[in-house]
This record gives sequence, C-alpha cells and structure tokens, in this order.
Amino acid sequence: MEPDGDILRVEDLRTYFFTEAGVVRAVDGVSFAVKKGETMGLVGETGSGKTVASYSVMRVVPKPGKIVGGRVYYDGEEILSKSEEDVRKLRGEQIAMIFQDPNSSLNPVFSIQEQLTDIILSHNGGMKKEEALETTIRLLDKVGMPEPETRVRWYPHQFSGGMRQRIAIARALLLRPKLLFADEPTTNLDVTIQAQVLELLKSIKNETGTSMVLITHDMGIVADMTSRVTVLYAGRVAEISDTNTTYRKSLHPYTRALLRSVPRVDEKVDLESIPGNVPNLITPPSGCRFHPRCKYATEVCSEKVPPLEEAEEGHFTACHHWREL
Amino acid sequence: MSLAKYVARRVVYMVPMAIGISIISFLVMYAAGDPITLATAGHPNITEGQREALRRYYGLDQPIPIQYLNWLSHLLVGDFGRSLYGGRPVNQLIGSWFWETVKLNLIALVLALIIAIPVGVNSALKQYSVGDAFVTSVSIFGVSMPVFWIGIVLILIFSFWLGWLPSAGAYGFPELWPLFGISDPTVDAIAHLILPVTVLTYVQLALYVRLTRAQMLEVMRQDYILAARASGIPSNKVVYKYALKNAITPVLTYAGLSIGAIVAGAPMTETTFNWPGLGRRFVQAASILDFPVVMGITMIITVMILIANLVVDVSYAFVDPRITVE
Amino acid sequence: MASPSTVVDEEIKAATEEEAAPKKVRGAGQWSVAWRRFKRNKAALLGLAMIGSVLIVAIFNNAIAPYPGRPSPDAFKPLYEGEAGQPPSLKHPFGTSRYGTDIFSEVVHGTVYTLYVSLFVTAIVIALALAVGVTAGYLAGRVDDVLMRIAEVFLVIPVLPLILVFARIFQIVFSQTSFTLPVLGISVPIGLTIVVVIISVFGWAGDARAFRGEVLRIKEMEYIQAAKSIGASSRRIMLYHIIPNILSTVIVVATLTMATAILTEAGVSFLGFGDPNTVTWGYLLNENLNELSVSWWAEIFPGLAVFWSVLGFNLLGDGLADALNPRLRE
Repeated sequence: MEPDGDILRVEDLRTYFFTEAGVVRAVDGVSFAVKKGETMGLVGETGSGKTVASYSVMRVVPKPGKIVGGRVYYDGEEILSKSEEDVRKLRGEQIAMIFQDPNSSLNPVFSIQEQLTDIILSHNGGMKKEEALETTIRLLDKVGMPEPETRVRWYPHQFSGGMRQRIAIARALLLRPKLLFADEPTTNLDVTIQAQVLELLKSIKNETGTSMVLITHDMGIVADMTSRVTVLYAGRVAEISDTNTTYRKSLHPYTRALLRSVPRVDEKVDLESIPGNVPNLITPPSGCRFHPRCKYATEVCSEKVPPLEEAEEGHFTACHHWREL
Repeated sequence: MSLAKYVARRVVYMVPMAIGISIISFLVMYAAGDPITLATAGHPNITEGQREALRRYYGLDQPIPIQYLNWLSHLLVGDFGRSLYGGRPVNQLIGSWFWETVKLNLIALVLALIIAIPVGVNSALKQYSVGDAFVTSVSIFGVSMPVFWIGIVLILIFSFWLGWLPSAGAYGFPELWPLFGISDPTVDAIAHLILPVTVLTYVQLALYVRLTRAQMLEVMRQDYILAARASGIPSNKVVYKYALKNAITPVLTYAGLSIGAIVAGAPMTETTFNWPGLGRRFVQAASILDFPVVMGITMIITVMILIANLVVDVSYAFVDPRITVE
Repeated sequence: MASPSTVVDEEIKAATEEEAAPKKVRGAGQWSVAWRRFKRNKAALLGLAMIGSVLIVAIFNNAIAPYPGRPSPDAFKPLYEGEAGQPPSLKHPFGTSRYGTDIFSEVVHGTVYTLYVSLFVTAIVIALALAVGVTAGYLAGRVDDVLMRIAEVFLVIPVLPLILVFARIFQIVFSQTSFTLPVLGISVPIGLTIVVVIISVFGWAGDARAFRGEVLRIKEMEYIQAAKSIGASSRRIMLYHIIPNILSTVIVVATLTMATAILTEAGVSFLGFGDPNTVTWGYLLNENLNELSVSWWAEIFPGLAVFWSVLGFNLLGDGLADALNPRLRE
C-alpha cells in the first residue's frame, strides 16, 4: 500500500481468445501504469484490445477468453494470482467499471433498486437493506436523477439512454472504488447528452479523487479529460505519454495518424485516414503490427517486434524509428 | 396500462376466438357430407328411413345455424349432447376420464420442469463438458423418438421381460393384487402411473432441457451479466438470480401452453397404455365419427388452451416488467 | 430474445474479419464459411449420413428388400413358408410379423413413403409459411395484423384432434376410390397424400411466425446497414441481402419440419387414422401393436426406423443452425 505511486500497474498482460477460427491474441504483451488520482486515457481502434485489457484487470474476461500471462498490481498487490473469492471482493468495491452500452449493461427485468442494492449487500454483509437503499438513492441523486426516492423502483427501460448511463455511473460508484474503468462511456449516447455525462465524470473525479482509466477511440474526449494517454494497437502498446505530449510531440506513427484523422477547429488541416484495415489478430503481422499501414516502415519493422523504450521521462514508445520522427 | 386492464383486454379478445373455434369444430361435422351417413357408413343394413329417424332424434334435420345455436346453448350450461352411438350423454363418457388425463399430464409436466430447469442451467454453464454432451444427446434423442415407441420399449422391458410394472390401464383388478404383493389401492394406482408418466416426462424433459440450455447460453453472453459479475456479485447469484430470470421466459411460455394441452391428453401414450383418458376417448370417438363426443372434447381442449394462453400472458407481465409498465 | 453482440464479441469479430472484399464475393464467402463450420460438427455430419442412408434405401428399396411390398401377394410369402411370427434371424433380419410379412422388407419399402411424406409436407408448409410470414413481416400494418390473427387461430386450435378427424372423414369418403394415381409415371398414393395435405394445413402457423420474426429482424439490420453505407442503396440491394439472410433460417426450419412431419404421420397412422392402403412405418406400428407380447420385433424395428430418420433430420437441422449462425463459438 503506497500512499503515492501507482494504483494500477499492468506488466506484459496477455489475454487470448480460443475460438473455432483460431487463437485470437487480443492482448499480447501490454504494459502500462496508472498513478493514483490521475485519469489515464486508453486509446485505440476497435479490436485494439483496450476493452479486453480492462476486463482482464477485473478478471471478468468472458469465455472463450483466458488470461494467459502477465502480472497486474493493484495498489501494490498482484491480483492475477489471487483466488476468485478475493478478486470478487475487489470488484465493485476497489475497482469498478462503467460499460459502453447503457441499454444492455443494466438487467432489464430487475428494478434499479434491486440491482444496485444487491451490489452493496454483496460486499458489506452487515449492512441492512434500508442503509443500502439510502446509499443507492444518494448516489442516484448525485448523478442527476430527478426524484430518486420514487424512481429507484423503476425499471431500466423506463429511463432515457442518457439517464441509463448515469445510473450505470452511479452503480460503479456505489462502494467508492479507488479505480474506475470507463469504457467508451459516451459512444452510444446522443451528442448533446455526451457532454453532460463527461461533465458528470469530471465532477466526480474532482470530488472524490478516484483514479480513472478512460477507454475511448475519440481523441477529442481524450484531450478534454485525461492527463496521460496509453495508445494501444492490435493488442500491443504503441505509445504512453502525458496528454500534451501526445498531441504535440507524439513519437509513434500510429498515434500521429490517429490525430490526423480528427478534425481540428484551430487549424485548417486535411483529414487523413489510415490506409488499410485493423489486422487480423489470429495471424497478426510479424514484427511491428502496424508496419503494413505505416508510411515510415522499413525492413526491420516487419522482422523485429519494437520494444517499448523510454524516449524521454515518462514518455514510452514502441517504434524502431522513433528517433527519426 | 394497469394489470387489470391488460387482463380484461385479453379476456375480451379470447371470446371471439373461442366462438370462432367452436364454429370451426361444429362445421367439421359437415366437412364431408351428412354426419349420420358418415357415422353409419360401416353399417350397410341401416335404411334411409332409419337414418332420417336418427337425424330427427339428434336434431340434425334442422337448418345448420339453428343446430349450431342449439349445440352452443347446451354447451354453455355444461350439456355436451348425446353420443351418436347409443345416445349416452357425452358428459358421462367424458366425466371421469377427464381427471385421469389431467392426473397423468400434470404429474409429467411438473416432474419435467423440476428436472429440466436445473439440468438445462447446469448444462449451459458447463458447456462442452462430458455432462453437457450427455445431456444434449439424451435430449435430442428424446425429441426424436416417437412418443408411443418409447412407451412400447418401456412396456417390453418393464412389463413383459422384467414383470415389474403393469402395462395397461390406470387401475388393476383388486382380486389380482395379492399376486403382485399389493394390498393398498394407492400403491396400485401409482404402479400403473409409473410407466406412462415416465414416457410423458421424458419427452417433455427433452424439450425443456434444450430450451433452458439454449436460453441460458444466450443470456450468459449479455453485457448485463458481465456487469453484474464486474460489480462483485457472487457467481451463484449472477447465475441463479440474474441470468435465470432473463432466461426463463420462453420456458414458462411453453410450460404454460402445455398446461392447456394437458387436457388434450396424450392420445399416443394413452393408446399405448390403454389409459382411460380423454386422449384415448377422443381417438375412439374420432374413429367412429361420433361427432358430439368429438366436438365436446375439442371444445374442452380449446377452452383450456385459451385459458392457458391467458395465464401465460399475464405471468409474462410479472416476469418481464417491460410489458405492463409501458 | 436475440440482442446485439457484446462488446467483446465485436472486438473479436473486428479482430478476425477478413479484408473487406467486393459485395459479391462476400455473399459467396458466407456459404463456404458455413460449410466449413458444418464439416467440423460431428453430430451434424452424423445426421447427414443418417439421412443419406435413408435416401439410398428409398431409392434402391426394390433391390435391397428381399420381399416385395404390399399389395403384391408375395409380400406374404413367409406365411406360406411357415415362417410367420419368427424372431429376427439371418433370413429375416427384423423377423416376421404374425401376419406373415418380412418386417425388414416392409421397413425398407416404407422408406419411400417416409421420404414422400417428409418432403411433401415440408414443401407445402414452407411455401405457406413463407408466403404468410414474409408478407406479414415486410408489409406490416393491417396486413400483418390480419395474417397473424389467422396464424394464431391455427396455433391455438388443438391440432392433433382435428387432423385425426379430418383424416378419418377422408378415409371413409375415399375408401371406395382407387388407391393410387399415376403421376408422371409414379403411382402416388391418394390416401397418404390426403394425410400429407391435412398435416400441412394444420402445421404451417409456427413456421410462419418464425419467418415473420426473421424478416422483422433483417429489416432492422438492413436499415442500419443501408444508412451506414454511402448514399445509394437501391431496393434491389436490400432484396439481395434479405433473401440470403432469410434463406439460412428457411433451410434450418425446413429440415426440422421434415423431422416433425415424419413424427406426425407416424403418430397419425399409429392411431389408425392414416392411409389404410399404404404401408408406412406408422401403419406397421399400428398393425403389430396388439401382438407386442408375441412378436415384439414387429413393433420395435419400424419404430427404430422412425427414430433413425427423425434423429437424422434433427441432428442435421441443429448442425445447420449452428453452422449458419454468425456468432462465434469456442
């Protein structure tokens, strides 16, 4: 238990999916760290492994997936080797997750009250039902639900999409976790609601000082919400640095390409899309996985896997040619 | 809309259905010409004059709509008319046989559900295990075997070769009990129940296991289950409280509808085991085209099915809140 | 109960998709992927083999069966040879019935009727179900309401009793006419055909509902895809996508209907309501029921044949459903 330092440290995490079509190496050697109190952006396209990586940390990877290697340290303790029951206690209480689609992450046949109080009661055996209900109502109020005392008995389908996501946020905060994973919390929402939800997350951050991992592919949100960024590509880490550096002095071709595909208000720049497609993770490209789509690629890129090197303090990149960028 | 309004709406919808089906059932009688002609087709010695007399006796000389209304009005007070063969009141013929059928099917249904749901859930959880493979094969066998054939096989094994259980009827003859070491009528009744119930249970079991398993597999893949697990809810609860409630709806639907079909009896099984049930009575009546009996049983079955449908719809409202609270 | 894939599914899917190819090749790809999956499913292959064996026996029934089928008098040769009611032996692999027929031959000949019933019933049922289901699903509105009410009537009606009654009525009415009708050189049994029609008329409603559900589901998906695609997507393209998508469901449903058809006919004939002039397996089961205590083989083997065929179709149907399902499995 370190007062400062990393709340989460992931080392060489590997999670594979054993499917009929072959072994999908969704997370293939990912390492990153999250400092206490910071918001880390976990960025990448669909299929980059960002969601699977966070599921791996919480050990809820669904079948046919399996964590096959690596270490995960939560607040100094290695958790991949813990028993299932020990990890269960961590879930919700220490580490919580806000899921991507609020329309499917809430159980449709149970009331909000039932689902949420159950979570509280599953952790604090001594707490009474009334107390759990009070806590639930308090949090629903905090995320902006009108009349939470009555509406707590409603069912998910009776709420709008934006409100459902707020409920999902409330659910994650019930037990005051120290680490929060927010998986694309605004992707499935209307644009107008997106801003509200992001504001909500920010205010929660400020109030409680919770560490957060924000999973997204939207570079705009990253700029707004995060202090550090980890960029994933095809199951591997491409670059890790603080947010400013990411936008101004990125040392990885993929990150740069990502940034160039986002429209800017301040400059008039041509949008560029990244040529090619996200690689097949059953038979990924050799060496650097990005090399087929990279305009700086040379022969060594297809032969050797680029190691994650510290280019400057706190700035890591996995590219053979980062010095020339 | 409120529950009461919902139920009322469904009931109102049921009535025209019931009437429509009663008309269809009634018209079946005339499907291929005059019923008396058909019913007496196997008796060439009956003269046309005698046929006319029969028609008058049964009121079949009236215009068809009048006949229908007559029949319907009697039906509503519980009088099912008289059999075309010998004129016995249909009520008598159906009476006690009704309960024998219900007894048989109800026990089978309950047993099937009690066994199938846990088995199905477990099978889904341990997909691809040996246990799951076994369960899957047994259930696919169950839905592929003709019902009567299973009965026949069981009769061969347990009645003829092993001599353990009786093969026919619902009750044996008290005089013969000492031969089997029985002195209690209940034991006798149970002994007669075992084989037919086993057959019916097995067939339904297969179906419910397949259904439950498929539903559970589908539900377990959902985000909300993953979310529940990620919130620290213990595995048991995730499965048996959260997943199960989502998965169970189609199973309940089918079970509810089966309750309606309970009265339809199981003509195959009842024929195999010579069981004094509605199914067998129907087969007998249909064979000799004894229309009043046929129509009477059809109406009973129809009403039961409609009521079962209603019950299922209402229970949906309890299980799936998305329906009433619109 | 179908709902969108989970997030992980989508990630896996994205990670395993082949490079995007022009639309036409992708269509073909769907079937070859399904075929590959099917080949890996042992149970499905078993089902295919079982049905294949039934087909072969049916085609070569006259060559395989040692004795001819009824109404040829030679069908009763064992009786004249004093071999009636014999248990299975080398000469009579399934034994002989008390009436003097060779069970093995009768089962072999009956295969033809089984396939006839199964294919014909399925053809009619699928035709009706598609017509009603697709129209209802595609046109929606009043048309949908009306058609679905009609289907509901057929689902609520106790089907078996009505099948029995109609079958019996037609049995009596047609008992005076000839047994078969020459159609395209083959003598088609009238009675059995009537049974087929009756079964079909009462059995299409469930499939119709399934097809309608599929059309509704596809409609939703295709709208989304159409909206996503760049600009023009003509009606024709939508049709090109709806039909192949429904096709896989139709195939699965048809296969399972074939299984049900066999079971239903066997049941109807078993109860004595089938065609008295056609020796189907169900007919054999009815005929020999009372002789169970003395010649159990006469009852068991025809039943086994029914079981074999139905199981074959069910395994095949399950295998097809699995192979054509776009979801990934372990």
